[in-house]
Amino acid sequence: MLLERLEALNFRNLSGKIECSGHLNILFGENGQGKTNWLEAMHLLSTTKSFKTSRLKETICFGEELGIVRGSVKKSAEITHELQVALQGNSKILSVNGKKETVQRYLGELHAVVFNSDELEIVRGNPDARRKFLDNGIVAIYPAFVQTLSDYNRVIKQKNSLLQSALDHDYSLEKTADLLAPWNEQLVSLASRIHKARVRFVERLNTVLEKKLFGREEISIRYASSLEGRGDLGDYAALIEERLKFRVQAELVSGHALIGTHRDDLEVTFDGLDLRKFGSSGQQRSALLILLIANVSVYFEQNGEYPLFLLDDVDAELDYRRIGQLLEFLNGKTQTFVTTSKDSFVERFSAGSLVFSIVGGHPELHRT
Amino acid sequence: MLDYSEPVAKLIDEFKRLPGIGHKNAQRLAFFILRRPKEDVERFVEALHEVKERIVFCNVCNNLTDVNPCLYCTSPARARDVICIVEEPYNLVAIEKTRSFKGLYHILHGALSPIRGVGPDELMLANLFPRLSPENNEGVEVAEVIVATNPTTEGEATANYIARLLKPLGIRVTRIAMGMPVGSDLEFVDEVTMDKALTNRHEI
Repeated sequence: MLLERLEALNFRNLSGKIECSGHLNILFGENGQGKTNWLEAMHLLSTTKSFKTSRLKETICFGEELGIVRGSVKKSAEITHELQVALQGNSKILSVNGKKETVQRYLGELHAVVFNSDELEIVRGNPDARRKFLDNGIVAIYPAFVQTLSDYNRVIKQKNSLLQSALDHDYSLEKTADLLAPWNEQLVSLASRIHKARVRFVERLNTVLEKKLFGREEISIRYASSLEGRGDLGDYAALIEERLKFRVQAELVSGHALIGTHRDDLEVTFDGLDLRKFGSSGQQRSALLILLIANVSVYFEQNGEYPLFLLDDVDAELDYRRIGQLLEFLNGKTQTFVTTSKDSFVERFSAGSLVFSIVGGHPELHRT
Repeated sequence: MLDYSEPVAKLIDEFKRLPGIGHKNAQRLAFFILRRPKEDVERFVEALHEVKERIVFCNVCNNLTDVNPCLYCTSPARARDVICIVEEPYNLVAIEKTRSFKGLYHILHGALSPIRGVGPDELMLANLFPRLSPENNEGVEVAEVIVATNPTTEGEATANYIARLLKPLGIRVTRIAMGMPVGSDLEFVDEVTMDKALTNRHEI
């Protein structure tokens, strides 16, 4: 897929349009001019969500009713789709080629991967950021997985509520076990599916992982099930079923669901050391990029095309050596958008790219 | 100060209690009532009264009925050896529309949901067990119980709970199938349903 043109109207401070390069696009400008807003617009066009806020209303230009982001996406040599996301209040209207579409059908029209400081949570934050990274990656190649995740979360929520009321009403262990049984049975089958999908996805990431993309240290990843060391993970369903039975009392005492894939983690190490604890922030950033690139490669294997790669404020996050290695790697693969406020960045990396100066939200193709 | 005179405000408040009715809709309904002729309103009030006076839960199956036991439970034309369990009376209506199920029903009036404070005791399940002995079922032994709760996590948990209670009694417990809607094109089916349909495929 190729984003040929992007337009914005009353979205943040943006105006005008960008005629994009299929390779590298550099959005250049001073702080506060709207470089990141353009990436946000692309992300909105791709996912129908903002990466900055959950209240889309905030993204509509102050004093305006309707915010619009529009883009032409080339799907193949002869097929181009006109995508549009129109925001009105907190609601959004999605359309493809001028016809309204449901979110389910709209998603998948344009896929994008973002690298920004929020995404650093994946390498330095809590396990839930890493689980989300895996789950989003799986959903991108296997959309029906969304339902498995949402059913699983629902079961955990119901189970927590049940355990909480068991605690409040002093239920006996036997009664609690009885009440938990129908939820645990679903949990076993849903958790097994999630476990299998994540293990398989990490395997696929591993086969394409550029462990030494940035030289020096070697990055490794491994899916760390919370049931590790508790028995045979090869027969996950049997193992979790046994653990659930064994731990009823602990769950009753704590009032929370203690067993399942919501306690798992993705272990990221460099030269065998835990990246989260011992990695420098440069090492963490490199590792994040290596993970994102692996994600993009798996997506390519599955779909035969690359998603967009959006890199926000890339020079604040990475040194020029790494940026050079990264851009070289991506060259000829993904359509890439980077934002920068540094002249030296443009001088160094603009060969073969399109440079847009952003002033007051308006893009102007830079002639060099 | 109230926006409207007290009787009108009171009516709006009552409408707001109805499911799916917000403030604006409640206002619209209240003004609709105000503009109707008196006879129409009285007929409406009468209908509300009557439904509360005359409709009761069937002692046997918990269906809503004006004769107790209900017409399904007393019909000689229905097969007494199969009982289909549903969550709500309108689920029964949906199954009846197929005209292909000839057995009896049992209505739970809900599904397990700890979040909403619904446990097994809140379901109308206790009167199912007496029905399973032939002496309470016109001499007929119940051979199968079909669990037709919704395909949600709550519906599944309920089905599972019921199966756990009934299986030890030696009764065959079945669950309705999930998958493709009939008469639709494959392309219009969402991924999740398609996925279920593929998983639950059968040999032809």
